[in-house]
Order: sequence, then C-alpha cells, then structure tokens
Amino acid sequence: MERVRRALTSDHAVGWAFVAPSVLLVVVFGLYPIVSGLMLSFQKASLLSPVREFAGLENYRAILGDDRLKQAAINTVYYTILFVPISIVGSLAIAVALNRGIAFIRAYRLAVFIPVVTSTIATGIMFLWLLDSHYGLANFVLGKAGLGPFGFFEDPRQAMPSLVGMTVWGWLGFDTIIYLAALQGIPQELTEASAVDGASQWGTFRSVTWPMLGPATLLLVVWSTLSALQLFDEVFFVTKGGPLGRTSVVVFYVYRLAFEQGLAIPLAGFAAAIAYILFLVILMLTLIQFWLGNRVVHYSS
Amino acid sequence: MRRTWFITAFVFALVAAACTGGDDGGGDGANGAGGGPVELILWHGFGTVQGEPDAEWQSLLDRVDEFNASHPDIHVTSIRCCTNDKALEKVTVALQGDEAPDITYQYGSSLAQLAAAPGLVDLTEWTQRPEVAWADFIPGATAAAVYEGKVLGVPALIDNLAVVYNVDMFEAAGLEPPSPDWTWDDFRAAAAALTDPATQTFGLAFPADASEDTVWHFDPMLWQAGGAILSEDGTQAAFDSEAGVRALETLRAMAVDDGSMYLDLQNAKITDLFNSGNAGMIITGPWDLSGLTDVTYGVQVLPGFDGDHQTIAGPDMWCVFDHGDVRREAALEFLTWYTAAEQIRTDTLATGHLPVRTSVLEEPGLTDELEASFPGVGVFAENVANVQQARPVTATYPQISVAMGEAIVAALLGEKTSQQALDDAAAEVNDILALPA
Repeated sequence: MERVRRALTSDHAVGWAFVAPSVLLVVVFGLYPIVSGLMLSFQKASLLSPVREFAGLENYRAILGDDRLKQAAINTVYYTILFVPISIVGSLAIAVALNRGIAFIRAYRLAVFIPVVTSTIATGIMFLWLLDSHYGLANFVLGKAGLGPFGFFEDPRQAMPSLVGMTVWGWLGFDTIIYLAALQGIPQELTEASAVDGASQWGTFRSVTWPMLGPATLLLVVWSTLSALQLFDEVFFVTKGGPLGRTSVVVFYVYRLAFEQGLAIPLAGFAAAIAYILFLVILMLTLIQFWLGNRVVHYSS
Repeated sequence: MRRTWFITAFVFALVAAACTGGDDGGGDGANGAGGGPVELILWHGFGTVQGEPDAEWQSLLDRVDEFNASHPDIHVTSIRCCTNDKALEKVTVALQGDEAPDITYQYGSSLAQLAAAPGLVDLTEWTQRPEVAWADFIPGATAAAVYEGKVLGVPALIDNLAVVYNVDMFEAAGLEPPSPDWTWDDFRAAAAALTDPATQTFGLAFPADASEDTVWHFDPMLWQAGGAILSEDGTQAAFDSEAGVRALETLRAMAVDDGSMYLDLQNAKITDLFNSGNAGMIITGPWDLSGLTDVTYGVQVLPGFDGDHQTIAGPDMWCVFDHGDVRREAALEFLTWYTAAEQIRTDTLATGHLPVRTSVLEEPGLTDELEASFPGVGVFAENVANVQQARPVTATYPQISVAMGEAIVAALLGEKTSQQALDDAAAEVNDILALPA
C-alpha cells in the first residue's frame, strides 16, 4: 500500500496527470484516426455506408495500376523539388536582408509575415485573378516589359510552377522568421572576429554564418519537405487539380477518391491505402534527412 | 502530499468530464412521445445576400412557419448546414456521427451516392399515395429521382440550361438578338462577332474546369446531335460517336480556331466576366440571373442541331432519413404539404424558381407573371418543355463525369482533337463499366 501511495504521489504521476488532457486529445484526434485509417486500408469501404468488406492487400496492389495516382505522385515530387530549394534560399536571403537595424525594419518584417497569416482562400482568389492570362495584372506588367502573355494556371505546362510561386509567396514568411531568429542567435563576436581576420562579407557568411545556421536549415528542409508532400489547400481551392490533372497532388487525389468518387463505389479503403503509403514515404524521407543532417550540421552548445 | 493527491484527482476528474457528454446520437429531433409535437430537422444550403437570407431561404422559412402554424403536432426546424455544393459531404460526415437530419436538400446527382447511406428512406410507396400526385411532377425531375428502381428523392427544384446574352453588346456588334430557332452555326458566328482581342472581350465564357459543370454543358449538344452518353444497356460509352464529335468540334472550333471562347479553368470567373461586359454570352441556368446586376441581359433557348433544341436539367431533391416510424411519417407529411401545387406556386412566385409540377407550370399566365417579376425566368420556364433526357443515375457516374470532363477540356485547350479526346475517354469509361459492381 505504501509503495502504491508513493508511486501515485511521485513527481512522475503528478507530471502525467498534468499532461493527461493534452495526451488524451492527441490520442483521440491523432492516434485513433491513424489506427482506424490503417484498418480502412485493408477494407473495401465507402464513407457513406457502414458496410466494411475485408479486402486484404488488394488496395495496396491496386496502387501500382492507377494512372491518375501515378500522375499525382509525379506532380507531388515535381512540386516538392521546386518548392523546397526556392523556399530555403529565398527565405535565407530575405532573413539576411531583414537582419538589420535600419528604420522601419519592424514594418518590413511584418510585411514579410502577412502572407502567412492570410487565409488560403483569399490568397487563392487573389492569385487567380492576378495570374489570369487575359485580365491579370501579372501579364499586364510583364507585357510592358516586352514579355509575352503567360498562361499561368491555364496552361498545363505552367500551372505547377505558378502553384509553386503562389505557395512560396504564401509561406516564405514562416521560414524567414525561423532564419531570422537563428541569425540573431549567432554571437556577434564570431562574425566580428571573422571580419577582423580579413574575411570578406561573403567569406564570413560562408565560414561562420552558414554553419551556425545548420540546425535551422535542417529544421526548415524537413518541415518544407513534409508540407510540400502533403500539399492540399491551394490545389483544392485554386486549381482543383487542373488543368487536365497537371496540378493534382497525392492528398488531393485521396480526397477526391474518398469524398467524391468513392461514395457509391467503395473507394475509401483504396484512398486510405494511398494515404498510408504517403505516410511511410514521408517517414522514411524524414529519417533520411535527419540522419544526413546530423552528420553535417554543427550544433553549438 | 495531500496537496498533490488533490491536484491529481482534480485533473483526472476534469479529463473524465471532458470525455463524456456531448453525444446525443440520432440527430436532434424528438419523437413527440409525451405530448409535445414531433420535432423534425431540415437541412438546406440556400444562400445569403449581404448577410440576410436570400429569396430562396426566406421563402423556405416562410413556408416552414406556415406549416408549423397549421400542423401543431409537427414542428420543423430548418437549418442552413452549409452551401448546397457541400450538402453531400456534410451529410456523409453527419452519418458517421449518427446525426443526419430528417430531411435534407441535395443535388439530384448525389442520389446514386446517397443510396449507399444507411437510413435513406425509400419513397416508392409514398409516391403512390394519391395526395402526392407524383405524375404531376415534371417528368425530367422524377426520372432523376429514381435509382435502381427505387425513388430516393422528391423534386425540390428544377432548372435547365439556356443562353444568357448581353443585349447591348449584340446591338453594338450589329447582331440580331438570338431567335428561338437559332443554330450552333449562328451561335458560333455571333460569338466570333462579339469577340474583340483589343479589349479582351469574348463572345462566350465557358466553364472548363473538367468538372460535371463542363460535362453538363456538353450533354445537351450531344443529345441534340442524336447521341447518347451510354449505350442502351449502360455497359458501354456511347459519347464517342459522330454526334459526340460534332458537338465537341463546335466547342473546340470556337475555343481554338476562332478564339471566341474564354476558358474558365477554375470555374470561378464566368458570372463576373459576363456582369462586367467582358463576355457576350454565357450558357447557364436561372440561378445566375439575380447576380447579373450590371448588364442588360436577354435569355434565349439553346441553339439547336437540325432543329433539335433540347436542353438538360439538374433537378435538386429533398431526401429523407429514417429516425423511427413517427419522425419518418411526420417528415413525409411535411414533404407532401411542402410539394403540393399550392405551395409550389407560392414558392415559384416568391423566388423565381421554375415550378416542379406540370400543373403549376402550365397554369395560364404563370410564366408571364414569372417573367414580370424575374426578367429572363420566363424563357427558362418555357424551356422546361425541352428537357427530354437525363444523365445516367448510376454509382459509376462520378468517374464517367471525370473522364468526359477531361476529354472536353483537352479538346478545348487544343491538346487533343475532338475524336481523340472522346475515344480516350470512352476507353477509360468502358474500363470503369467493366469492373464488377
């Protein structure tokens, strides 16, 4: 009895008691869907019907034969390959520029962050009209510079780059804030010492600043890749996967299957299987990134 | 020590309280046992105008109040659950939590999918009750309410596609306003005449997002040319016929060769473009008219192939979910009253909706009265007579729609020829139809 009492009143138990509400929330809203999604992926099911037919690995086998899924997967990879490097390089450049004490610097920092807090729908509608090939401001301005009218979202070849442009604009502020914080965490003595030693600005950046930004860069690469592979909102609200499926991404395709095409025909299980494969891919990629990163990144104590 | 015990116990109590509670199941209606009226929940997705219920919503509210006053044993509460576009999704989610309403407003195209939902009431028996006068409903609407031999919805709204044109732009281009027997060649010529690249003006703005909106603009042209979407027995695609090519070629030529068609690839700009005078014509239904406040518009029936001007309708339905005998019967009583000729008539004149009952539609003077209050609606009302066919109501239709939509847009973008686009789509549809049900 004494041992039970000690156990229940130890710091351990009290700590758990305090985090119990949050843990329960995560379990209910996180773990439960994950587990039930896994079960769904082994079934033939429709979200409208309680009928669940066991289907073994059939859904997973069907993944290889689905052409639209192949297209969505390729699109997702293409998007990620464009989005991540542009985000990292762009946000670093802007963070360096914002890392000064000039007048109105707070206003500039705010301006960079505003797109992040603007709703996706508002951004989407704005870009739809901005990049309209006939009526958009973009083509109007580019036309003045002598550059021919672009199709943007209306051209199957330009739609994905346009989507990258729109999402980079929308999310760059987030990466910038992280880099800005990291830059401000670099002890000034180091950069000053480097300058005193005769290094150029670029030299200082390359040998002092950049290595010190290692942890932040790793975080942002992992984060950006994760988000890019799970892109959905902008596709759903703006391009709807078009034109001709050129901006259809995996999560969007999963949504279409589960909520639009897979109600009368039971495709929700197939959609869940795709979601699981995506989960495994992202998990593997993240582990690889961290493993590589930890070998390269220099953590200062 | 005692303090930590207290804190631990308090936190666990909070958690326990948070986890229980909040699940009443079976929706919020009540059975009326114990003296009170039977409570029914009705979901709809009508819209607002500057924050206030629009004409459709207001009419529903008025009708529901009238019913509640005259039927003290039933009380209907109407709730705007979402926009009508999301009604199917909303009900899907509600069904997971066992909280579906008693009556829900759905697009007719959702019926085949809702058929899988547990608790959806089979209305076949109800339609045979004499007070329902099922035969009085517009045939195009009742045809779309049947899935696999069962009636799953009550027509709530019927519409159709016609051409809405900018009167001033026609005059400025020296064109005669479209006549009821105009052909697709006339249409193409008018669009070309209205197009002016210098001012970025287009003869026609067309929904090209490859969704069902794109497909149902193509369907009446296919039917007019003598074609069909599927074969008689529903096992093969039939839209890749000569008729299909003829229909798609007309559109493709306008988009690619003439440059007279604005392709709205996100289906978000058409009404705005027409309303700002950048598009001379749009092919749409009566729902768009109230938004066209900045231009003088006229309405004319669809152009025809070989004198056939048939059009397409997209009937919306009321569906009923089973929450026990008492509530189901009460819901049916409500729908019998709500869709009776008198209520249809009142609603039509209040909202500009086309009447879903033939008796109301053919009432002398009604279309004139409609036209007077809602300019342009009169033509749509007369166009109901041109609704002859319906799209297939099958479980596979959403996938057929995707294939056809992409074919049409591929042709409009100039990526494929009309024949190639339709052939590819037909091959895909045949694969879909070949899968075991």
